[in-house]
Amino acid sequence: MTVMPTVEGGLKLVPEDDDDWNVLSAIALDADEEIAKRFSGLMDEESMWEDIVVPDLETHFSKQLEVVIEALKAGRDSGEVIISPGESEEWYGALNQARLGLERIYQFGPDEKVVLEEISSLSERSAYRRGRFYSAVQAVLIEYAMPD
Amino acid sequence: MKAVTAPTRKSETRTEEKTDRPWDVIVLDDPVNLMEYVARVLMRVFGHSREKAEELMMAVHQQGKAIVWSGGREKAEMYVQQLHSAQLHATLQKAS
Repeated sequence: MTVMPTVEGGLKLVPEDDDDWNVLSAIALDADEEIAKRFSGLMDEESMWEDIVVPDLETHFSKQLEVVIEALKAGRDSGEVIISPGESEEWYGALNQARLGLERIYQFGPDEKVVLEEISSLSERSAYRRGRFYSAVQAVLIEYAMPD
Repeated sequence: MKAVTAPTRKSETRTEEKTDRPWDVIVLDDPVNLMEYVARVLMRVFGHSREKAEELMMAVHQQGKAIVWSGGREKAEMYVQQLHSAQLHATLQKAS
């Protein structure tokens, strides 16, 4: 897959085969659906986070995933996925949800402590590679598409 | 018509405690959020300079957590909501 900045200030993803498309499709599947509720666990009862804030956060996080899903649908026809500057925040958020989801399941920890050869499970290795890819796209998004 | 009663001394004291004691907004370290992203969120949410935001981000990274703002409870909750919206692990606690 090729990831490149666009002159408009966004990013272009050009998948080369079905595996690449599968990785992009996995963003929404890997996303942690309970992330908003998990954040509420960090708050005390007095804040009433679960009742007041969590519904808004859930809507916000769902919209991020919808942006990615729609972009992938459109990209299937053209063979490339365009991340416009106006949607870079949503893409970043969706990728983060996916990485949080993978971390919750596999608990990889910081990248510098992971030794890929020590991961025996194929599905876990695949998940780790997806997480690395998501992280790399996030880094490019920050550098080229997200205003400081 | 019901008689209007004056608030008791006890509730006055409780209100003072709730409004006067500052609350700390705390960002917790996690293995997912990119350091540059955390710094940018701190700049955007709190209006910190880049230098201050990076200093706080490094404190989160190295110490596991850092107090990024202190003040009234209501505003602290608003900030935590913005941090959660940015997927940063954040909470609040009464300032010691």
